[in-house]
Amino acid sequence: MHPILQNWRRFLLWLAAWIPLGAILVLVAHLSARLSLADSAAVMVPAAVVLAFFCLAPFYVCRSLPLRSASAARLVTQHLAAAFILSGAVMLVARLMASFVSSATAARFPAAAPALAVIVLMIYLMAVALHYAAFEMESSRRAEVLAREAQLRALKSQVNPHFLFNSLNSISALTAIDAGEAREMCIRLADFLRTSLRLGERVTIPFAEEMALTTMYLEVERVRFGGRLRLTQRMDPACSDCDVPALLIQPLVENAVKHGIAMMAEGGEIAISGECDDQWLRFSISNPFDPEAPPSGRNGLGLRNVRERLEARYGGAARMEIRVEERMYRVALTLPARAAR
Amino acid sequence: MMLRVVMADDEQLARRVLREYLSADDNVEIVAECSNGFEAVKAVNEQRPDVVFLDVQMPKLDGFEVLELIDGAVAVVFVTAFDQYAMRAFEAAAVDYLLKPFGAERFRACLDRVRARLREGARPADLARDLKRASRPPGEYVERVVVKDGPRVHVIPAAKLDYAEAQDDYVALHSEGRTWLKQQTISSLEAALDPRRFLRLHRSYLVNVERISRIDANTKDTRLAVLTDGTKIPVSRGGYARFREVVGEE
Repeated sequence: MHPILQNWRRFLLWLAAWIPLGAILVLVAHLSARLSLADSAAVMVPAAVVLAFFCLAPFYVCRSLPLRSASAARLVTQHLAAAFILSGAVMLVARLMASFVSSATAARFPAAAPALAVIVLMIYLMAVALHYAAFEMESSRRAEVLAREAQLRALKSQVNPHFLFNSLNSISALTAIDAGEAREMCIRLADFLRTSLRLGERVTIPFAEEMALTTMYLEVERVRFGGRLRLTQRMDPACSDCDVPALLIQPLVENAVKHGIAMMAEGGEIAISGECDDQWLRFSISNPFDPEAPPSGRNGLGLRNVRERLEARYGGAARMEIRVEERMYRVALTLPARAAR
Repeated sequence: MMLRVVMADDEQLARRVLREYLSADDNVEIVAECSNGFEAVKAVNEQRPDVVFLDVQMPKLDGFEVLELIDGAVAVVFVTAFDQYAMRAFEAAAVDYLLKPFGAERFRACLDRVRARLREGARPADLARDLKRASRPPGEYVERVVVKDGPRVHVIPAAKLDYAEAQDDYVALHSEGRTWLKQQTISSLEAALDPRRFLRLHRSYLVNVERISRIDANTKDTRLAVLTDGTKIPVSRGGYARFREVVGEE
């Protein structure tokens, strides 16, 4: 149903907006057909009411003909066809009303008909344009809301409580074994938390900062997993200045640890690489995994989050590819290299 | 009371904390330290400890799966950073549930609880054996069935389980042309598996829906399900009703 018809207040406002438009129609009929104002109103007010309802129709037509995807020829022909048919119907109503009022009115009315038909047609086409404008505003607002929600969710998953508790447990163990190392670990954890909170407030950050955060995270996890967590990094220095959505990559690294390394008795190697040219930033992370490991919970939520954020930020321009080989899991991102505005 | 202890955690530092707290008690002997689920099952079944400290998320088998594969009576304490397993642990008749990180005071209370439970003699872990096998969060079903194969552990993914057949206190699990025996009732297995994927076609049979190729009339009141590999399984009247419900009316 049309949003204007869903709510009484909106509907009354819509009718109010028609008072001046109706007045114009009455005035034009009065002047060009030389009808008395009362007769002119009797003819044109019912026609204006019909037109007010017809001008809600573009909602359905515009929805089936989105500006971005429909061809220009189709847009023009379909809207014009609808415009002509509906204005014809409005004119017919006016003509019928004229013959109800009196035969003299009916005889004079045709003098005003061409001018009235043009105005009715214009009003209808204006309604089409307004509907498209409203649709555009709605969709850009929705994209913004989505982007913000995705960021909030990313921030939430950022300070993963289990990561925190397990790290605190490691610290608790270290205090008895190596007080200095325990203090180091506290500092690393604090650095990571502080940085992730700071970066989480921003929309995009330089790739180098995202990687620095990722390194902090892995340093904390390395205390927990010891030799089981191994890391190779291959970074093209040209990537450093590319802008990326904040905290986009960190959840991917967390996944690699949680579903890969943590579920393997002997551990494994996480390989991270980044390269970039004028157009694209290519990032990939791979980790071994045990296909026979017990389920490690909530798989895929983090990945979906990353995918949604890419979609919200870059539309179709960014890509995320997931490749699962026998015992190797790989996620590759391709982003526009300097797309941040 | 002297306590013989097995602990299982994949993180070395987590085991260090446990060892530190355990060594503060003179009447504790650590008989095995394990770093994954397989080792834990083996150690408990060989060493017969009084108590086992189990991490929930570990490589190979998680803590709950380890619990399923342990013979006889042992007091179980879960040790984890995840508080969402507490309910499940309680249902699995765990003696205690330690949230990482925990302090020495809390740990002493845990050991007191373990001793009290062991003194009671009748070990609720035994009575709850069947209950614990069905325990899992509502609406979530196991994706795999673990079964002991002599000293080893065999994991059957749910998708590869053809059907299960009740045999007294055991279920015979048929998968990929082999049969595995597990000490479990068919009802608790049924409760653990997704009811949209596994159908109790008969009092003694639980069948993977994807393996059913057709259902034939047998005698006037009975039917036979024919599986994709040709196996025939009796279908009770209730079983047929459940089948129609899942597969839809034809």
